Amino acid sequence: MLEIRDVHKSFGKNEILKGVDLTVDKGDVVVILGPSGSGKTTLLRCINFLERADKGTATFGDLNVDLHSASKKEVLAVRKKSAFVFQNYNLFNNKTAIENVAEGLIIGRKVPKEEAYKISRDALDKVGLSNKYDSYPSQLSGGQQQRVGIARAVALNPDVILFDEPTSALDPELVGEVLEVMKDIAREGTTMIVVTHEMGFAKDVAKKVIFMDGGNIIEEGTPHEIFVTPKEERTRRFLRRVLPGEYDFEI
Amino acid sequence: MDSSLINVEFLIDTFFVALSGVPIALLVTVVALAIALPIGFFLALTRINEIPVLNGFTKVYVSFVRGTPIIIQIFVLYSILPLILSRIFEQYNIDFPIYDVNPLWYAFIIFSFNTGATLVEVFRSALKTVSAGQLEAAYSVGLSTAQAYRRIVIPQMLVSAMPNLCTATINLIKATSLGYAISLQEITLKAKVAANVGYNYLEAYIDIFIVYLILCITVEYLFKVAEKRLSRYKALATA
Ligand SMILES: Nc1ncnc2c1ncn2[C@@H]1O[C@H](COP(=O)(O)OP(=O)(O)OP(=O)(O)O)[C@@H](O)[C@H]1O
Ligand SMILES: [Mg+2]
Repeated sequence: MLEIRDVHKSFGKNEILKGVDLTVDKGDVVVILGPSGSGKTTLLRCINFLERADKGTATFGDLNVDLHSASKKEVLAVRKKSAFVFQNYNLFNNKTAIENVAEGLIIGRKVPKEEAYKISRDALDKVGLSNKYDSYPSQLSGGQQQRVGIARAVALNPDVILFDEPTSALDPELVGEVLEVMKDIAREGTTMIVVTHEMGFAKDVAKKVIFMDGGNIIEEGTPHEIFVTPKEERTRRFLRRVLPGEYDFEI
Repeated sequence: MDSSLINVEFLIDTFFVALSGVPIALLVTVVALAIALPIGFFLALTRINEIPVLNGFTKVYVSFVRGTPIIIQIFVLYSILPLILSRIFEQYNIDFPIYDVNPLWYAFIIFSFNTGATLVEVFRSALKTVSAGQLEAAYSVGLSTAQAYRRIVIPQMLVSAMPNLCTATINLIKATSLGYAISLQEITLKAKVAANVGYNYLEAYIDIFIVYLILCITVEYLFKVAEKRLSRYKALATA
C-alpha cells in the first residue's frame, strides 16, 4: 500500500540517499536501523516532503507522486495520508495538548470542531493522557510530550505514521511509557515506519526490519532474519556494536 | 510681565494645547505601524529565507535607515518626493497641486519607511526564536504555509518580539515630534507655536515633556498587558 522507489538525495556534494526502495503493507510495522548519518531521518523527511528528494517516487494506495517534482497539491495530499512523529516532539508550543491534536483535524482536514475535539480526546485517552487535555507542552514531561505527539499523529488516522527516533531524546526512565504506547497502536493495526535504536521494540513489534548504511538499504528481512541470521557483514558489525552482549560469541 | 520663573497659567493652558496634538501624533504612529508591520515582517522573511534580490534590497534598506538620522531622512524625503511626483504628474499631464499636500501624508510615508526598517530586524530576531520544527510539525499535520505561519509561527514569534515592538513603538511616538520640521500639527509644534507669542518656551517644553511621558508610559503598560496575554502558554509552565 506504500511503495517508495529509487529515492536519491544529496546535500551539496554529499550524497545521502543513493536509491532507496521501500515497500510497506497495510498494518505492518517496518523498523529502520542503521548507524548515525546513514540517511534514516532524511528518508523519512523525503517521504513527507519535509525535504525534497532529487529523484524518486511514492505510491500511497491510489496516490502516485514524484518525490522530486510533486506539486503543492500533491504534497498536501501525501501529508494528509501520512503523519510524522518527531525526535524532539515538536509540539506546537502555543497550543494545549488537545489543541495540538485537533489542529491538523480542524485546519488541515476541515473536520468540524466538535467532532475534531472528540477524536482528539479519544486519541489522548489512548496514550494515557486523559488528565492532560489542557496542559501546554511546557507543562509536560518529555514522555508526556511525545505521547501527545503520537496522539496528534494517530488522531489524523493516516495511512502510515512515520516515527523518527521517537524515544532517543527522552530520559531513560521515560522511554518505556512511549514504547508501550507505540506497541498499543501497532497492535491495533496502524501502519508504521519507525526509525529507532530500540532493538527490543524492533524484535517484538516489527514485521520487517531494514538495515541502512551509507545511504543504501544493506539488508532487510524479518526480525529473526536480521537479528539472528544476518547475511551481510555490515549488518553483523552494526549489531555487535549496538547489542554487545548478544553477539559476543562472534568476536 | 510676570517675573516668576514659571508662568503657571500658561503652563496649564499650553498643556492642553500640547494635548490637542496627541491625536495627530497617535494617528501618524498607528498608520506608520499599520504599514510598517506587514512590510517589516515580509522583508524579515526574505532575509531569513535568503530570497535572492529582495534579501539584498532589504539589507541596503535597513542599513540606510539605521545609518542616517531620522531628521535627515525627513528632509530628504520631503524634498525628493514632491520633485519626483511632480515630474511624473507633468509627464502624464495630471494637474495636481503637489506642493499643497497636507504634511500628514509625508509623515505617514516617512515614518512607515523608517519604522519598517526597524521592524525588519525586530521580526528577524524574533522569527529565529521559533524553531524550524514548529513549522515542520505544522506542515506534517497538513497545514499550508500561510496557515502554519498564522496559527503557529506568528503567535510564538510575537511573544519574543513584544519587548522590541514596544521599544520601536515608543521610539516612533517620540520621533513624530520631528514632524514639526515639516509643519505637522503634532504635540511639539503646537506647544512651540503657543510659546512663540510670549516667549514661554520653558513652560511649553515642560508640557511637551509631560505629554510624551504620559503617552509612552501608557503605551508601555499596554504592551506589558498584551505580552502577558500572548505568553500565557509560557507563564503557566512555571506556575
Ligand atoms: N539539511 C541538511 N543539510 C546538509 N546536510 C544534511 C542535512 N540534513 C542531513 N544532512 C546530512 O545527511 C547525513 C544523513 O543525515 P540523517 O539525519 O538522515 O542521518 P540519520 O541516519 O538519521 O542519523 P542519526 O542516527 O544520527 O539520526 C548526515 O551526514 C547529515 O550531516
Ligand atoms: Mg536521524
